[in-house]
Amino acid sequence: MEGLVKLSFYSFTAASIALGAALVCYVVYAAGRIRLRQASLATSTGTTMTTTTAEFAPGPAAAGRFGTLLAWFALVFQGLAVLLRTIAAGRGPYSNMYEFSLAFIFAVLLVYLVFERLYEIKQLGPIVLAVAFGMSLYVWSLPTRMREVEGLNPALQNQPLMTVHVSTAILAYATFAVAFAAAVLYLIASRRQTRWLPSPDMLDDIGYRAVTIGFPMLALVLILGSIWAHQAWGSYWSWDPKETSALFTWLIYGIYLHTRSLRGWRGTRSAVILLIGFAAVIFTYYGNYFFGGMHAYGGVD
Amino acid sequence: MAELTARQRAAQRSPLEWVVDRVWRFFCSVRAAIYEIAILAVMVLAGTLRGSSVPEKIAEWFPFTRSIVDRWYDWDVFHSLPFTFMLALLSVAIAICTINRAPAIWRTIRFPTVTTTRGFLNGAEHSAEITHSVPASELSGAIQAALRQRRYRVLTATQGDEIHIYADQNRYAKLGTFPFHLALILILIGGIVGARYGFRENEFVIPEGATREVGHGTGLSVKLERFVDSWREDGTPQDYRSDLVIYENGKEVKRGTTRVNHPLTHGSLTFYQTSFGQAIALRIKDAEGRVVFDDAIPVGLYTSRTNPDAPAGLQQLPHVGKQINLITPAPTSALPEAGTIDLQSGEIFVQVRSLGPNADSSQMPPTAILRQGDIVELDGLQIEFIREKRFTLLQVASNPGMPIFWTAAIMMVGGLAITLYFPHRRIRGIVTALPDGTSSVKLAPLAKRDWSGQRNFFRVVGDLEAKLGVRAFVRGRPEHLEQAARA
Ligand code: HEM
Repeated sequence: MEGLVKLSFYSFTAASIALGAALVCYVVYAAGRIRLRQASLATSTGTTMTTTTAEFAPGPAAAGRFGTLLAWFALVFQGLAVLLRTIAAGRGPYSNMYEFSLAFIFAVLLVYLVFERLYEIKQLGPIVLAVAFGMSLYVWSLPTRMREVEGLNPALQNQPLMTVHVSTAILAYATFAVAFAAAVLYLIASRRQTRWLPSPDMLDDIGYRAVTIGFPMLALVLILGSIWAHQAWGSYWSWDPKETSALFTWLIYGIYLHTRSLRGWRGTRSAVILLIGFAAVIFTYYGNYFFGGMHAYGGVD
Repeated sequence: MAELTARQRAAQRSPLEWVVDRVWRFFCSVRAAIYEIAILAVMVLAGTLRGSSVPEKIAEWFPFTRSIVDRWYDWDVFHSLPFTFMLALLSVAIAICTINRAPAIWRTIRFPTVTTTRGFLNGAEHSAEITHSVPASELSGAIQAALRQRRYRVLTATQGDEIHIYADQNRYAKLGTFPFHLALILILIGGIVGARYGFRENEFVIPEGATREVGHGTGLSVKLERFVDSWREDGTPQDYRSDLVIYENGKEVKRGTTRVNHPLTHGSLTFYQTSFGQAIALRIKDAEGRVVFDDAIPVGLYTSRTNPDAPAGLQQLPHVGKQINLITPAPTSALPEAGTIDLQSGEIFVQVRSLGPNADSSQMPPTAILRQGDIVELDGLQIEFIREKRFTLLQVASNPGMPIFWTAAIMMVGGLAITLYFPHRRIRGIVTALPDGTSSVKLAPLAKRDWSGQRNFFRVVGDLEAKLGVRAFVRGRPEHLEQAARA
């Protein structure tokens, strides 16, 4: 078992390196497209415009391909890290911030790569991977004792329910991270005519798609959390800060959906709500730092 | 009356009608609903932050907010009147909005208007126009086939030399919003029912072998057969469980185990394992030799003033007017005993106090120190220390709101999934027969709010182009679909 825990950690190390490298590639890819955009501007003062496909110059396109490849590597190693940890502990990897973050990085990569495939664009990469990489650095900054597997306090032992509850939360947060990246890019793309970004319409749509996945998931998280609370503490809602901050997050995305479907909001206003929503996600995620309460189990002093 | 204009009719309304109409419209307003949700969200945030050091930080950075921050910490948001009011307001809004919208939604599902106008088609943000060399009926047939292939229901109506086409998808999914929103109300109702008709006993103590009544009109009693705890090597708790038997009016109705996180339920009653401890089994007889007590007294729920580290317990025996106080030795890990009573391991300290108004408090109550098996005579009672036992501390709760909560949870997630993943998509169009025997069609989606609906529309158009071997004249086709069509 010791060996598995070590192996999981090494796997996470490999994933972190791949993730860092992937991030660099994605940034080069995005930055390279910016440079090309300027080059094509210069020529446009002449008599003929160069063809639009010029933006896929070999440099950045290769960087993009490498980025994707490395991101998939990172996903596989991160998944391995989570899996080995799960086997070693004999339960879902959710007992402290170390384990929780391992799973979160995995989920962010997974959701991102799915969206990259579906929409065939890589420009979200620099932002989403920066979030994932930031999370990786955070894991490295955690005290090393958290890397050891500890037994769970009986109050947290309800494996199926807890595993589903926390996994759903992690996936929902990861989806909101993608929505956040789409919103950031939207705010850039809608402000200047750019060819290095996807169309604002598409970014707006990616944000919406992500929320339609994340919102019901977060509803499920709240419900499963209530059921768990009911079984563990005998009351299904106790206005615990972790519960209420998740509820707050959910309401923000509820407002996002309402303003869109009922008031026809699009674009900038929607994107701003997505930024607020993701701030709420981060706040909920790190809530353990701010709050006492029943969810303060994260092993954070 | 029928000829009155809307304004005249409005002028004829009584003030009451006017007010009712205004209130009704306020509750139906989706703009108001958004503000209501936003206000609720702000309150939830305020209540959440109240449990943190964030307001304190704000007051440190901006000293002028100090008084507001202090009041903020004092404000129990989630149990406050304004918060309850917002929840009530939202519930009423959801209910009224639902009632208001239901007939219209039902009509769009069952009896959609098939015909459309040139104005709509020409003004649409997204549209496609195709001219083809086949007669109108053939073109219409091809369009219908293409739409059906993409899982649209198609309705047509002929008007002169025009064929109007109406196609839609996921029409019944429009109803998903009702279970979802009603579930929001149901969850609140479940909470109210639980709080109003349920109960909760936080310190339900049963020593091993003993039976306790649940009370609250349930007619139930519970016996603890056995308590088991297990520990890990490092001394942290791994598991505790209590084997219980439930009796209804003296008859056994259920047998089961409750452990942390795995409560035992019986009807709407739930037994949660909370804690456990030591209990002292005593047999007490009165002067006539009748047994007045034969049970165990839990220790550790109280501590005595004289020995604050030592677990203590008490038991009232009202029918003999006495109260038994017990103190057991402090655990070895604790500080040296500070109190006046010095007990060795295995010993207990017993005191008998008289209850009632005529109890003489000036006199020191009689006391004794016992070991297991000892019998002592105190204040007319014969007390026998049978042995040490364990007790379990349970929480007993009855929450009749739970089935409502379950129903709501299912309605909520199901309704949401239906609303979000099966959007109602519509396409309208007119096929026109041209004088030379050819025909043309103009199609447009009703998808102003639904980008995926627009995309879906252009997929249908793409299918048609491929099938008919023509290029459509399109407006608003997204770039990547344009590229796909060109290819
Ligand atoms: C906390 C309270 C509420 C939440 C979380 C909530 C959430 C939602 C969600 C997620 C949708 C689906 C949006 C979409 O189709 O993209 C929706 C739609 C809707 N909501 Fe709410 N809602 C709430 C309260 C209300 C209230 C009070 C009203 C009534 C005034 C209302 C009226 C509507 C309407 C009319 C729709 C449109 C349904 C449709 O497109 O067919 N909601 N709501």
